[in-house]
Amino acid sequence: MTTVQERVSELRADTSTRRAWVSPYMVSALIAPIILAVWYYVTNNGLVPSILLPTPQAVLEAVPRVVGANGFAGHVGRTVSEIVLGFGLGALVGFALGMLLGSSIRLRTAYLPFLSALEAIPTVILAPVIIAWFGFGIEGKVFQAAIACFYAVFITTLSGLGLAEPNSVQLMRSLCASKWQIMRMLKIPAALPVIFGGLQLGATTAIIGAIVSEFVGSDAGLGYLLQRYRSGFETPSVWVIIGIFLIFGLIAYFILWFAERKIVFWRAAAISRPDLEKQ
Amino acid sequence: MTKTAPLVRAEGLTKEYRSGDKQMVALSGMNLDVMDGEFLSLLGPSGCGKSTALNIMGGLLTATSGTVTFDDKPMSGPSRDIGMMFQQAVMFPWRTTIDNVLLPIEVFGQSKKKYRAKAEELLSMVGIAEFAKSYPWQLSGGMQQRAALCRVLIHSPKLLLLDEPFGALDEFTRESMNSELLRLQAHTGATAILVTHNINEAVFMSDRIAVMSARPGRLVDVIDVPFDRPRTPELTLTPEFAALALKARTMLGLP
Amino acid sequence: MTSALKPRPTKAGVAKAEGGESSWWISVGSILLLAIAWELGPRLLDDRTLFPTLSDTLAGLVRLVSAGYWWGDLTSTLIAVVLAWMIGCSVGLAAGIALGTVPFIRTAITPYAIAVQALPKIVLAPLFIGWLGFGPPSKIAIAVVICFFPVWIDTMVGLALPSPNEFKLMHSLNATRAQTFRKLQLPAAVPMIMVGVKHAMLLAFTGVLVAEILSASAGGLGTLTKEFSSQLNMPLTFAVVIVVVVIAITLVSIMDVIERRVVFWSEESRARKS
Repeated sequence: MTTVQERVSELRADTSTRRAWVSPYMVSALIAPIILAVWYYVTNNGLVPSILLPTPQAVLEAVPRVVGANGFAGHVGRTVSEIVLGFGLGALVGFALGMLLGSSIRLRTAYLPFLSALEAIPTVILAPVIIAWFGFGIEGKVFQAAIACFYAVFITTLSGLGLAEPNSVQLMRSLCASKWQIMRMLKIPAALPVIFGGLQLGATTAIIGAIVSEFVGSDAGLGYLLQRYRSGFETPSVWVIIGIFLIFGLIAYFILWFAERKIVFWRAAAISRPDLEKQ
Repeated sequence: MTKTAPLVRAEGLTKEYRSGDKQMVALSGMNLDVMDGEFLSLLGPSGCGKSTALNIMGGLLTATSGTVTFDDKPMSGPSRDIGMMFQQAVMFPWRTTIDNVLLPIEVFGQSKKKYRAKAEELLSMVGIAEFAKSYPWQLSGGMQQRAALCRVLIHSPKLLLLDEPFGALDEFTRESMNSELLRLQAHTGATAILVTHNINEAVFMSDRIAVMSARPGRLVDVIDVPFDRPRTPELTLTPEFAALALKARTMLGLP
Repeated sequence: MTSALKPRPTKAGVAKAEGGESSWWISVGSILLLAIAWELGPRLLDDRTLFPTLSDTLAGLVRLVSAGYWWGDLTSTLIAVVLAWMIGCSVGLAAGIALGTVPFIRTAITPYAIAVQALPKIVLAPLFIGWLGFGPPSKIAIAVVICFFPVWIDTMVGLALPSPNEFKLMHSLNATRAQTFRKLQLPAAVPMIMVGVKHAMLLAFTGVLVAEILSASAGGLGTLTKEFSSQLNMPLTFAVVIVVVVIAITLVSIMDVIERRVVFWSEESRARKS
């Protein structure tokens, strides 16, 4: 029969970090070499078909081959342009349309429910159509990427404009603010956190759009290169390109992460101190 | 300095809400004169229409019937000469504290530079001068309300409408904020209407108390509070204070 | 917390607006306007082969349905999507629970979760097709890989949602790890898990379609689209696109209904935990 005292000290001991000498970050650092070791073992002992996953050495050897190949930089530039231009186009149009429809409360409440259903549409289905329209050139890829990312930015802008707290709107009205002032000084800033989420999602889908479009038919680009290597059964080179795409993804992620900290700085900080957040 | 004409005059003020076939009377037939430079409280329980009356007097709500005149002109909407404070500080988190204080100036299209010194002065008067460049979410609730107080005063409005601005704060902070408010109101000479459900607060702060009751929301009577200014906290312990508080209690129908 | 693991932006929960009547008119009116634009727009171009009008597309749809053979493709795609989704979700859920319940493990895994999310998994599609050939196995494999990760990560995020105070409460009640999991973490995680699961449906669909588009003879709606468009038969192509859109919306609407039920139930059970 434990006393209350003993039970209390048990609890106190439990909530403190036991085994404080092993931090999760140490484990994190160990996972990478473990994965590498597993990769090495599994592929070098034929446990995984090499057509799917080649040995680490093979991939490493392929790196200079791929990167040094003729026109490689051109392919990289092509894919990057597709992504950046497509994302820019889709985000701009999405934002503009969202602002247009979102500035009126009536339009917003009318459109939001039924437009939300469109979230479900896999835009990749348009890839063959876009190839038919634009051919293998860069325009089609930009268009595909733009369509892919348009929706996320549009819907978050549309719904974000409704986020301003009624009290804030009340305050602005008491200051005789015009509708445009309320939009510019209150509703848009209040919407930015959500819009940024839309931009992040849009960036991801724009990348996917560009890649799929290149796979389906292209005359240049990293996706095109990947398909070429694959049909030539040069799997290690394929994985080099996959690695490059991983780097792209990480760069995009970090760019957006930094941008968020600068542009929407208050959300992150306010969330980390919920006791002080008043609204 | 006394003026004979009221700054705000409400006559037969009524506000009804209709939803389907249900009708709710928030305020019925309120007649009230608010004199220039005075501090008036609207005291009553929830549902007595005090916030409704305040919002109508501020031009944010239109009355179903009755009239409100401000400065001898009929009320047609919000006015730059009226400043409102709400129960939440309503600070914009993407603006620094001082930028929040200067918000009215920006909205009015006036020069922020001209008012910056005044904003800093107000901030130091309420004791948060060193947080001018901080963001609202770095401040406590009480500090945010102090900033809100500065914001409402930055454009020197003739009339202050205060909807239980310190209700969400703890007792001690509320007391000091109320003293702050009285000091600044005297300093600027503004007229103030305070909505509250706290009897002691109403007696301490006001020159007159408009006692209201609910169902339907209406004005019961107006009590004079003749204590001298500036008022100190010791006043709340005097028998005269207690007598007035009791009078208000009785009027409210409380035991 | 890092952006990859932040909850996805939710649709603003718009309750039935009081202007329900006018909302309806606005939506219907806009759809009609778009339909008219679609019908008349292409007629303004001299080359209608690439841009079918609405009526062309509907005629194509009728031809498609009456031709009958599209059923095979439709079921092929649907089965692949649902199957991949079920596999992806169950494995994702299991992995999320296994790795996300204990904070220590979750923190250790986080950098890798971010890295894995950063890679657009669709790049693996050609590899899978090369390995498994055209046909259902590669379709399902790609779709599983693509939809597994969001479910996994959203599950982990959801399990991390309860505040330290809530954990303290369970602790003070002397709850075992399993009880804390069942009564606090799991119900609290359900909304996030549902978000992940819903998103996974879209991703599984995307994966299957991409695989079908890339495998010229695999069968499925994606292949049909590719076939028709390479023949420049745009009305039929658009008809298939419409079918895909309708299926996608239906699938996610079903998920919405399920989500509402499940989240409601989980809120109930969470409120009753002590």
